[in-house]
Amino acid sequence: MAQSLKFRQLVLSNRLSSLGLVIVIVSVCLASAFAIFGGRITPYSPYALNLQDSNLPPSFAHLFGTDFQGRDVFSRVIAALPIDLGLPIAIVLFSSVMGIFLGMAAGYLGGVVDEIIMRITDLFLAFPTIIMVLAVAATLGAGLVNAMLAFVFVWWPPYVRLVRGGVLEVVAEDYIAISKALNSSFSHIIFKGILPNILPSVMTYATLDIGTALLEVSILGFLGIGIPPNTPELGVMVGSISYGLYTYPWQALFPAFVTMLLVVGFSFLGEGAREASDVKVRPYILFKGRAFRKATEITEQQLTNR
Amino acid sequence: MRDLFTGNFGIDPLTGQSILSEIRFYLPNTLELVLFSFVILVIVGIVLGYFAGMHFSTFGDSIARVIYLVSWSTPMYLAAIVAILAFATYIPVFPSGGMYSLSISPPQPVTGIFLIDALIELNMPAFLSGLQHLILPALALAFVNFGLISRAVRSSILNVRWSTHVKTARAKGLTESEVRRKHILRNALIDATSLSAVIFGWVLTSTLVVEELFAWPGLGQFAYQAIFSNDYPVLIPIVVVFTLGVIVANFVADVAYSLLDPRIGIGGHNGAVT
Repeated sequence: MAQSLKFRQLVLSNRLSSLGLVIVIVSVCLASAFAIFGGRITPYSPYALNLQDSNLPPSFAHLFGTDFQGRDVFSRVIAALPIDLGLPIAIVLFSSVMGIFLGMAAGYLGGVVDEIIMRITDLFLAFPTIIMVLAVAATLGAGLVNAMLAFVFVWWPPYVRLVRGGVLEVVAEDYIAISKALNSSFSHIIFKGILPNILPSVMTYATLDIGTALLEVSILGFLGIGIPPNTPELGVMVGSISYGLYTYPWQALFPAFVTMLLVVGFSFLGEGAREASDVKVRPYILFKGRAFRKATEITEQQLTNR
Repeated sequence: MRDLFTGNFGIDPLTGQSILSEIRFYLPNTLELVLFSFVILVIVGIVLGYFAGMHFSTFGDSIARVIYLVSWSTPMYLAAIVAILAFATYIPVFPSGGMYSLSISPPQPVTGIFLIDALIELNMPAFLSGLQHLILPALALAFVNFGLISRAVRSSILNVRWSTHVKTARAKGLTESEVRRKHILRNALIDATSLSAVIFGWVLTSTLVVEELFAWPGLGQFAYQAIFSNDYPVLIPIVVVFTLGVIVANFVADVAYSLLDPRIGIGGHNGAVT
């Protein structure tokens, strides 16, 4: 309890991660609102064609303009949020669960299990991510579930490495040895001894990773592979316009900027959380840098003056 | 399997040419783009990360961090589209696509890399035209990918700045610039080197989007067409080539690593400590 309170303080003490948190919360709220209420919360229907209003520039009636089929781009951006947030979150969730299972098995059991799991992980790590995703997605065919599967297929290896490294560090600690000496059960050591210690690092990595996954998902949509055409997805919206780019730039620019904003939110939040959980830098952040900087500056100055 | 190692990838079912010759045509173009932007992004990334680390927790640090976080969060297509709209459409200083103007005579392919071939022939108009076409896509690639290097350099500078060996170096009476160059920056460069292999892989795969938007006849565009037309016989060799690129980059990074870090030796018997 005290731990989580401290963590919250650390996140909020950092302007960067506070801003990220605001962006993430607002977008998640919008996304879930759309997922629940559908087209009733958007100013126009994100799906209905309205050809007489096609290719209108941005105005007060259509904040982001309209696309080549007369659909309001702003409404479509909101309709895209559940997909563009849900898909990356699902990808990261599945990958981290997989990583925790495999990484703990490899790190704790060691030996042959470790060797097998890590060599397979290395094999997958060698492939360039997006190319592999594209190849798998193209094989599976268009569809959101297929796209997600294609991503999970290549997304998990870094998690295994992260978890295994953490487990190896924790297992070397005295309290695990003591716990073993006290005849604790296997599950007690795993769930009470090891898991709580590696979860924070997985969570900070995952937060940053949601942003990366979002970028790659939208690139998949942009290239028009894996995600069905005409889906309200930010990348698809940008990609469907590449030929009218010079005449109707808003149709591509607004969805692209919204993508950037979403990723910025997750990056800021994750980066702040990462730095907050970094033991070496933590004291600087807690004192907002000043006290510590003063202390170190004095020693540096004293040393240089001598 | 033997065909894979001898480079016999078979015939492209769409064009009827041998896939190896197609890859040999596209690969140098991609390498030109990737290497050029890689040099830019490594320099920019290290400079920005060093600046942020040395000005930790000041206004400059915050600005630098926001810059690299935003750049890293930018989708590849946004950077490319903004570059095209800003510098090719509204302020037409650079061409919006292609590798060289149609009005110039391209040099004979010797290495296959356009700029180097033009230099070998001393064909200045071709060289300048090639450079002009290269700058926008290379900058777009560099802008999206330099963030991770900055972040790594910054955090390794923070790790090392207040450590005891830097204090010792100061205590020995080294000048401040010597301490910064030999003890702080060098440590930061080690981290940046090991990361740059990963970044190289990203830049390589980012060409998929950039080459499509800039009509750059490279491997990324080739891969895109292959995926789009479900051309698996072509797709598999391309994945192999991309993977090879990443592996070679990792190898180069390992070698550079051992040059930078005296604790790591090649082979393990030449006085390697750890």
